[in-house]
Amino acid sequence: MELTLILPEIAVVVIGVILLLIDLWAPPEGKRPLIAAAAVVAGLVCICLFVFPPALGEAFGGMFVMDALALFMKQFFMAGAVLMLLFCYVAYDRLGGRVSEYGVLVLFAVAGMMFASSSNHFALFFVSIELITVSFYVLVGFRRESVMSLEAGIKYLILSAFASAVMVYGIALVYGSAATLSFDGIAAVEGGLTDNAVFLVGLLLVTAGLGFKIAVFPFQMWVPDVYQGAPVTTTAFLAAVSKAAGFILLIRLVFTAAPETFRQWQPLLMIIAGATILYGNLCAIPQRNLKRLLGYSSIAHAGYMLMGVSAMNAAGRVGVLFYLVAYMFAVMGVFMALYLAHGNPEKDDIESLGGLHLRSPLVAFSMTIGLVSLAGIPPLAGFVGKFLLIEAVVRDGMSATGGGHAWLVAVAVIGILMSIYYYLAVVRSMYRNAPDARAKPVSIHVIGRIYLYLCIAGVVIFGILPGGLVSWIKGVMTGFGS
Amino acid sequence: MIGLEQYLIVSAVMFGLGLLGLVIRRNVLVMLMSLELMLNAANLALVSFSRFNGDLDGQVFVFFTITVAAAEVAVGLALVIAFFRKRHSAGVDELKSMRL
Repeated sequence: MELTLILPEIAVVVIGVILLLIDLWAPPEGKRPLIAAAAVVAGLVCICLFVFPPALGEAFGGMFVMDALALFMKQFFMAGAVLMLLFCYVAYDRLGGRVSEYGVLVLFAVAGMMFASSSNHFALFFVSIELITVSFYVLVGFRRESVMSLEAGIKYLILSAFASAVMVYGIALVYGSAATLSFDGIAAVEGGLTDNAVFLVGLLLVTAGLGFKIAVFPFQMWVPDVYQGAPVTTTAFLAAVSKAAGFILLIRLVFTAAPETFRQWQPLLMIIAGATILYGNLCAIPQRNLKRLLGYSSIAHAGYMLMGVSAMNAAGRVGVLFYLVAYMFAVMGVFMALYLAHGNPEKDDIESLGGLHLRSPLVAFSMTIGLVSLAGIPPLAGFVGKFLLIEAVVRDGMSATGGGHAWLVAVAVIGILMSIYYYLAVVRSMYRNAPDARAKPVSIHVIGRIYLYLCIAGVVIFGILPGGLVSWIKGVMTGFGS
Repeated sequence: MIGLEQYLIVSAVMFGLGLLGLVIRRNVLVMLMSLELMLNAANLALVSFSRFNGDLDGQVFVFFTITVAAAEVAVGLALVIAFFRKRHSAGVDELKSMRL
């Protein structure tokens, strides 16, 4: 039965629908326990996904593929969903009585991401992207009493819908030249299309649309405003989980649908990766708003991961997946700390973090650990991720005929040095400056405390002992791509 | 005789007009309409490729695109209305509360 293959997606959607229905009759004081219950149920689904992994196979005429890579990404997204629902529970005062609606949208977006990780056909590819983005329009503009949040929502809507239109036009051109929408079918006829201008332009438009979703240069202009204006929970979700969905789609497109064409486009991908790293890091340096700074730095992180994709080898793909895991723990920890440190949702200045270690040592410490890992300082997980990505590029450079990719490695290292500067500037202003006299001590809910410990543990454990996760991901990647 | 080429030219012109509208118009509602035009240009290309390739996949894909475009506009209009209530304008020049 083919439906058994999509059981994880069905489970997520059913949880979402039931949550939406119960919310209709729930009294105001029952809203917070309701989101906690949803988190627990999602946690059970997540544990089931790890302990009893579903069978592998293909469904719906090869449109939906459940391979080891898809399973790994589904486990990743499910873990992300649980973290997000817990974040909603802790950040209840920020989301108010509509917290269940928020949780439902998170679950629907996660269902889209799980479908995305299995997509092997342009129809599923497009519909899953749109399921993610349409959910995100609402999540970004969720605080409708705030002009900033609505403005971010409208900006995201216009630019993202534009990217979707470009992507559909690209899909139409690819379809016109390859006469099929299936990734396997395109790969089969790709050899005869390498000179076909319609096919190449179509593929370029699809890649550009996807580049918008993962926010690489020159499609990154929406990031700073959307990251700043969106509610802090949405910003965390956008940075940690939605970026992973964009990358899994890119990996599917590059290595399943058109491996030969992208092999020829390797210099282009590398130039984009280098430009993204430089742009993100240079623009992050002067920022005074922490959410905006993290937005620019997330552009740079997309650049590092694109570097891994552009290496065109298994080592690069392993690096990307490891980086996504490391990035999720670090970013979730930083945004939770940011939420706890700031009482006012409209003000996220770095200055107001001054003396945070006096108000709450745990919050300041987890913010520090997260930022240091993002900067890529050993022995944290971010360092291992960056090391794997750079190693993959070097390895491809040594196997390629002449040249190598020394310039890209140099750009990545310069980017890392710049990022160490601005991340540590945040840490410094946190520990060196005196706290604002009006700042209240931070009160942390016990779930928030556990959440912070979890993020710190993830970053530290995968940094000191990355071997287990790396060999797991290597196992996932064997048999995928060329 | 109208062939594939003519359909594709119309589709490319529609896409270009949509892009032009998106870039030069200053009202969010008109920008959403321009986006619809771009999506419909892609739909026209899909349907004509489908017709001339003798393959139904493209026409089925168009149904997905139409549905998704409707969902996008529904959410978009909701956002624009919520913003209009705050600022009494749907102009993009109002979208400037965030700066460095």
